[in-house]
Amino acid sequence: MTSPEKKSIGIFKKNSELQTVVTITVVFIVGVVLYQMINSLINGGTVVYPTFLYPSNILNIMQQVSAVGIMALGMTAIMLTGSIDLSIGMMTSLVAIFIAKAVMDWAISPAMAVIYAVLICVGLELVMGSIISWLNVESFIITLGGMIACRGIALLISNSQEVAMRQNLAWFKSNLVDLFNPEGIKVFGLKLNFPYYVILFFILTAITWAMLKYTKFGRRIYAVGNNPQAAFLSGINVKFTRLMAFVFNGVCVGVGATMQLVRVNTGIITVGQNVEIDVIAAVVIGGVAMSGGKGNVLGAFIGAILMGTITNAMTIMRIQFEWQYLVKGLIIIAAVAGGAASEILRARKSRKGRLAIGQPEHRLQQSANTGSIPPKKGNEQ
Amino acid sequence: MDQPIFRLINISKTFPGVRALSNIDFDLMPGEIHCICGENGAGKSTLIKILSGAYQPDPGGAIEFEGRKRTLTPRLAIELGIQTIYQEHNIFPHLSVTENIFAGLEVMQGLKVDRNTMRQKAAEALDYLHCSFSPDAIAGELSSSERKLVELAKAVIFQRKIVILDEPTASFSSSEIDMLLEVIRKIVATGIAVVYISHHLDEVFRLDGRVTVLRDGVKVMTVNASDITEEELVRSMVGRDVSAFYSRVYYPKGDVALEARGLHGNGVRNISFKAYRGQCLGFAGMVGSGRSELMTLLMGGAKKTGGEVLVDGQEADFNRPSDAIRRKFCYITEDRQQTGLFLKHSIARNSIVANLVNMKDFLISPKHDYAVGERYIQELGTKAENADVVVGNLSGGNQQKVVLAKWFNTQGDIYIFDEPTRGIDVGAKQEIYQIMMELLRQGKCILMVSSDMPEIVSMSDHVIVMKGGQIAGELAREDISEESILNYSIGGSQK
Repeated sequence: MTSPEKKSIGIFKKNSELQTVVTITVVFIVGVVLYQMINSLINGGTVVYPTFLYPSNILNIMQQVSAVGIMALGMTAIMLTGSIDLSIGMMTSLVAIFIAKAVMDWAISPAMAVIYAVLICVGLELVMGSIISWLNVESFIITLGGMIACRGIALLISNSQEVAMRQNLAWFKSNLVDLFNPEGIKVFGLKLNFPYYVILFFILTAITWAMLKYTKFGRRIYAVGNNPQAAFLSGINVKFTRLMAFVFNGVCVGVGATMQLVRVNTGIITVGQNVEIDVIAAVVIGGVAMSGGKGNVLGAFIGAILMGTITNAMTIMRIQFEWQYLVKGLIIIAAVAGGAASEILRARKSRKGRLAIGQPEHRLQQSANTGSIPPKKGNEQ
Repeated sequence: MDQPIFRLINISKTFPGVRALSNIDFDLMPGEIHCICGENGAGKSTLIKILSGAYQPDPGGAIEFEGRKRTLTPRLAIELGIQTIYQEHNIFPHLSVTENIFAGLEVMQGLKVDRNTMRQKAAEALDYLHCSFSPDAIAGELSSSERKLVELAKAVIFQRKIVILDEPTASFSSSEIDMLLEVIRKIVATGIAVVYISHHLDEVFRLDGRVTVLRDGVKVMTVNASDITEEELVRSMVGRDVSAFYSRVYYPKGDVALEARGLHGNGVRNISFKAYRGQCLGFAGMVGSGRSELMTLLMGGAKKTGGEVLVDGQEADFNRPSDAIRRKFCYITEDRQQTGLFLKHSIARNSIVANLVNMKDFLISPKHDYAVGERYIQELGTKAENADVVVGNLSGGNQQKVVLAKWFNTQGDIYIFDEPTRGIDVGAKQEIYQIMMELLRQGKCILMVSSDMPEIVSMSDHVIVMKGGQIAGELAREDISEESILNYSIGGSQK
């Protein structure tokens, strides 16, 4: 018997889903770095340290992925229970417009506006989650309805117009680096920018990770997603667990949408457009099964960073944005298909192994059945 | 009448590890009713599937249809005129009766469907069978007995040669049974041969055709129903080798752990029993007699509509399974994969899941899961490398041990075993029995549902036989035998 300590060294062996996303991320990054280095060699004659790997650029990627990453945490919880939430994109727009409107037109303080926004998201998710879990209807359809309705509310409160803000949420953008050195730190001549909201992303990831791994609630989420019937008979309140996943997602969407608004600074309906696609893509690339019960927040975390990295790298390499969609799409397909393929290979391997182990047992069973070597007459007749 | 329309000669069927049918000879005359009897697992379903072409028999046997050797496929069987009516309905609920009868076989008039002819033909057939519903009725609104009649009308219209009915009367009322038997007689009068499988022996005698008895995949006999009594028929279905039985130790009877008084709900009616510590209370009966439904009800998995449950003498009202688990109930379900296990998860995760209800800690480390998983791997002798192994990769017997680990970890007192050894090989079976014995030795109480006759006979201290959602009879230890159980579960006419 191997001890758990020995086992935990090969963390990737345990998490095939993580293996896939890490492999793809590493391959992509190495590819981009090589491209930049070769490019500089051809054009300038010397190999230059690639701009893609500048610390300022890495921090830049983190800023770009924070909002989607935070929402991916909530989506992970939802997808682990076997549901999905399509409404988060339009809910993001709704939150952005609400906060902008509240601060600019309704004279609500930015802090209170953010708190209200989170509460609104929790409330909306609570309603949709209740319908989904108690009436046992498809989350796909209910949240599709929610998405359209959110769009309607958002357009109604903004009168279909954009609401520009005056850096009222700038606190979230405060640079952590400035705390240490008010002059700012420059690497390669570029100032490092490490805003608070990136830290928030890391903290929330850690909290979600711990919640799924170390609490009863986490275990229930996985159980419900894998086999709701067995979970029910094992004493788990399946409906409540599903609902709580939606509520948790509400918090994540509220916070994530605020981050999105912090970056664009304008409450407009396009803020959340296609956000749900990016979030679901990040979670799926991270190895969370659409059928539920399988996956991992770290996978979604890396998945979100990978998505941001693709956009960033292709912008740096000055590749037309049209190509970005193609590459992103292909990477999603490769990640999921690759994960499934490695799973099949693994299963085939272990089945072979099991048959080899099982053989003596099988022989024992046969002799127990017949008491002696079975006569071979059936075939000759 | 001397030439059989359908013959099986020396048919065997082997599944991995199991021989479902051995050297069966079977023949069917035109216009006769041929009943097939046997316990659960005697091979009736396999035989039907061979008759309908769904299964291919092992090489060595032959199937003859109207004197010609055939290799049956489901499609060929239908083309030859063999119609199988399964327990679950093959019906399009949104279409009318006429549309259902002619689905895929529409009468055409050029490119147009000839509705009038179809409706008229359907009406004639329904009339012949004395059906009370119209050919325009929506099939989904018919009762389950009327839906059977729709399928029988189909046989009449298309002049099928053979109709196979698999337990048609499950969940029928007695008047519906009367009606169905009447219709079957009418169909036979048109020259159609009927193969009839039923758990109810009185129907077999009322149909008064020939009877073939199967036991453990072997044909015992084929006789005319009029030449045999019910007792003789039951006796022919039982009678196993002594080695099939597990010899167990008996422990002294303890206090009453669980008592049900007039329990109603989830399809069962008026259930009363007492289950004692140190004893195994067996629930026998045919598949579909309401045993698993009763267990789900006891566990709080379904709504109770009447009666009461007492645990250790105190009334216990369970709204959901977690309530039952807190009162130390354990429920090893019939279908491990569907309702017992989390196949994508590790042994460790599976082992702790039921005990989450009892755990007070807010934080639980994965190390705790692993330790619990490992402990029960050792205790139960599960064949797995370690507790991180994904349960879906284990064999049936080892999966069952993981289910047991899940419940042992709750420190339960009252164990409900539903088909504890289904799909488990002989060696693992013995191990499961030993584990059950150990539970009894510790003074736990076991309720065991089983359709495996040797299992229920040899493991139970007391047997309750269920039929149609009710208790049909009770047997004390000295009275438990295959015959006495079958008398209650399928005979039934004497009580």
